[in-house]
Amino acid sequence: MDPTLDELQVDPLDEEIASLKQQGKFLTLKVECSTILSSPSIQEALLSSLNPQPSPKSAALRPRKPRKPVERDEQRLLERSKQQEAYNQQCLYRIAASVTAFKVRDPDPSAVDGGHVLGLRFEIMTRGHFLQPYYVMLNRPYPGNPKFLRIHRHTVPPAIPLPGLAARHLPAPKQQTEDRGEEGTLPSPPKQDIERFVKSLRREIMRYHNRLGVSADLRRSLGAHSSHGLMAADGSLPPNAIVDVSIADTEAKQIRLTWADERNGRLVMDDDGRVVKFMVFGAEGRDWETTRQLGESQGHVEDVAKMLEQFAAGRES
Amino acid sequence: MARFSVPTKARLPSSLRVDSSNPAVIKSLNRLSREALISLALSWLDGDTIANAVPYLERRSDEDEIDPDDVYPPCESVQQLYELYVDMQQQKGSKRDVANRILEGDWRHGLSLYQLAMVDFYHLEEHPMSQKWTAYKILPLKPPTKGVEDEVLRVDDKALSVPRFHPSTFLQSLQDQVLPDIKAHYHFHRPKDLPVLLLRIFVIESPYNSSLALSGVTGSGEATNFTSSRTVYLAFPDGSSHIYITKSQANGPATGGESRSLQNLIIQGVPKALSRPRERYTLKPTNLTSRNLETLLDKRGPGRGNAAGGGWSIYASEKNKKSPLDAVLPSPPLSEDSSLSDKSRKRLKPLNSVQRAAKRAKLVAQARFGDSGLVNDGKGIERIDVLLEDPFPTSVAAEKLGWGKDKGDAPAEASVSARRRTIDAALRQTGDVDEEELNDPKNPSQWKPTVQITFQGNHVFAGIRQLAEAGIIDGERMPGWMTGEDGVTLGIVRHGRIKGNKGSGL
Repeated sequence: MDPTLDELQVDPLDEEIASLKQQGKFLTLKVECSTILSSPSIQEALLSSLNPQPSPKSAALRPRKPRKPVERDEQRLLERSKQQEAYNQQCLYRIAASVTAFKVRDPDPSAVDGGHVLGLRFEIMTRGHFLQPYYVMLNRPYPGNPKFLRIHRHTVPPAIPLPGLAARHLPAPKQQTEDRGEEGTLPSPPKQDIERFVKSLRREIMRYHNRLGVSADLRRSLGAHSSHGLMAADGSLPPNAIVDVSIADTEAKQIRLTWADERNGRLVMDDDGRVVKFMVFGAEGRDWETTRQLGESQGHVEDVAKMLEQFAAGRES
Repeated sequence: MARFSVPTKARLPSSLRVDSSNPAVIKSLNRLSREALISLALSWLDGDTIANAVPYLERRSDEDEIDPDDVYPPCESVQQLYELYVDMQQQKGSKRDVANRILEGDWRHGLSLYQLAMVDFYHLEEHPMSQKWTAYKILPLKPPTKGVEDEVLRVDDKALSVPRFHPSTFLQSLQDQVLPDIKAHYHFHRPKDLPVLLLRIFVIESPYNSSLALSGVTGSGEATNFTSSRTVYLAFPDGSSHIYITKSQANGPATGGESRSLQNLIIQGVPKALSRPRERYTLKPTNLTSRNLETLLDKRGPGRGNAAGGGWSIYASEKNKKSPLDAVLPSPPLSEDSSLSDKSRKRLKPLNSVQRAAKRAKLVAQARFGDSGLVNDGKGIERIDVLLEDPFPTSVAAEKLGWGKDKGDAPAEASVSARRRTIDAALRQTGDVDEEELNDPKNPSQWKPTVQITFQGNHVFAGIRQLAEAGIIDGERMPGWMTGEDGVTLGIVRHGRIKGNKGSGL
C-alpha cells in the first residue's frame, strides 16, 4: 500500500518538473529550490528530522516508521543545504570585495609545494553586470624560502603588465650560494608584498576595463548619432559624421576614429582616461584645421565625445 | 619599364611586374582553386587595386593588328573584363582554364608583385596549415646607461609598458634595417576570420628596385634572381605583445644555412623596427611552434588562455562564468552530467567495476584537461618535443611512480638528427634561463639517460586526452606537461616539470 501510494505521489512531481523544463522555467525552479534550501527554518526542520530523539512536532510531520531511503534523502538535502550556505557566503564576499582568495590543488603529480596553490579572483563589472573574473594563481616554488610566492598560472590578458608588476612586488628570493660572493653588501634581501601586488594589479585591471568602457561608450554615442540623426535624404552621411570608432592598441589607450570622408583621427589617453594627444589625418597628411577645432577639448574622453558630436552636427548644417 | 636603374635602398614597388612565364608565378597560381582564382581576378579589377594590377587591354589604335591566333583576345575595358570573370564564376570549368587565361590572356605582360602577394595570401587562406609559425614574445629592454659603449642591453622585467605596434611606422623602420643589396616587397593582409594582421615579406637579392631586379642581368635566363627569392610571413595578433614568424621559403633550391640567416636577419630586424626612441624591445622565442594559427592565438594571443592551459583552462573559459549575484548552487564541474541525469540514473542498476573505472578515467581526464584538448576544438598542435632530464627511476621507484609507460607512447622516429639540432638549441637557450637548478646535488649513482619524446599527430593533446579517457594513460599520475598546460612545443623536463617555465608562462 505504502510504496504504491508513494509512486503515485512522486509521478505527478516528476511530470511537473518535466513540464517546467519544457516551458523553460527550470531556472526559476532552481532559484526557488536554492532559496528554500538556504532558509534557516528549512535547515532546522532538516536537522530535527534527522535527530534521533523524535520531538512530538517532528513526529507529526514525519511518517511513523522512518525508512532508509527517506533518511538518505534528508541527509543529502542537508548536505546540499550546507553547500548552498557556503556558496552564498562566497557570493556575498565576491559581491562585497572585488578581490577574493581561494585555495586550489594543482593536479600535476610533480607540482611544487605539494600542489598547494593560492588563487586570487579579480571581479570586473561592466554596465552593472559581473563579467568573468580574472584569476591569478600563486604557488611557492622556492624550497629555501617557503614564504615566497610566484605566479603559477593566470588568466590576465596581455594588455595588463602582469610580469612587470610581479617583478616589482613579488621578486624571487636571492640565491644564497651565488650572490653571497658577488653582492655580499646588498642592502636588503628582496621582500615580497602580496598586498601591494594585488592592489596595483587590481588598479591596472580596472583602468583597462574603464578604458574599454569609454571607447565602447564613445562608439555607442557616436555610432547611434551618425546612423539616425544625421542621415541625409539621399542616405549618404555628412562628411563630418564618424563612421567607425575602434581600439587601436593592446592597452586600449588609443582610439581610432574614422569620418565619413575618410579622414582619420587618433585619440591617445593616459591611465586615468584624460586625453593627452589628439590628431586628425586627412587625405593630404595632417588635418590641422580639424585638429584645432576639436583640440580645445583637452579633458576627459567624454568631453571629446560631446565635442565630436557637436562638430558632426555643426559644420553639416 | 624603367629606362635605367641605379642601386638604391628603397623597397620594391607593388606595381613591379614579374614575367608571366616565370615558373614560380605559374606554380603559385596553380596552387589555387578555381573559385579562388576567379575571385582573385575580380578583386584585382576592383577600383582600388587596379593601379597595381593593370590588365592587358586592347588599345583602340591597333585594332587592325588583331592576332587571329590569340586564344584570349584582349578586352576593351576593365568593366568588360570584370563582367567576363563574373560570368566565369557562374559557369563550370577547369581551374587550368582560369589560370591560363590570367597568365596568357589578361595579364600576359606579367603579374605585379602586389598580385603575387595576393595569390600567396589566397593560398594561405585556402590552406591555413601550409605555414609553420613560431611565436616570439616582445619584451622591453632596459634603457642603456649613459656613456657606456656597446653594452649588452638586458630585458627590463619591471617595465609596465605594453609594446604597441603601428603597421606603417613598423614597415618604414624595418625597411631601414634592410641591407642595400637586398630588395624586399611588403604586403599587409588581414584574414577574414582571425584577429591577426599578416605581413608578407618577399626578398630578392638585387641592388635595383626596378624590373631589372626581377628579370636578372646575368644573361643566363630570366628567372635567375627569382630563384634566390625568399618569402617570410609575420603575424601580429591584435591586442597581444607577441609576434609569429614563419620559416622563410625559397622559390629555388636553397641551402639550409641561407634560409636560416634570413630568418635571423628578420628576428634581429623586427625588434629594431618595433623600437622607438627611448623605448627598445627585443624578441624572445617562446618555444611554441605550430602550423595552426588558432592555437597560437589561444596560447600566445590576446585572450585569457596564455598562461592557463590544460586543466587550468576552466578558469579562462567563458563557459563557467558565474555571477556572484546568481545564488543557484553550481554543480561542481565534474558532476555536471550526473547531477542533471540524477533521476534517470537512480533507476539504472549500479555500475560494475569496469564501468566505474571508465567513468573515473573520464572524470580524471576532465580534471586534468579541463576544456582543452578536445578533438574538434580546432586548436591542435602537430608536434611536441620533450627532453627528459630526470634520473632514470629505479625499479622500486618505477613501480611507485608508474613512469616508463610514457615512453611507450612516443612513436619511434627515424629523423633524429634534425630533431637533435632543435633540442640542442633549446638546451642552450634554456640553459641560461635556469639558475635555481644549478645547485642541485649531483648524485653520481643515478643514471640519467637522455630520453627524447616526440608526440606527433593532428592534435597531440587531444590524443593524450583520449588515451587518458580510455584508461591507457593513468590520468592521476600523468605529468602536467602532458596536458599541454605549459603551452610549449619544445621543452626540457626536470623534476617532472618543464624546466625554466616552472609553470608560470610569464
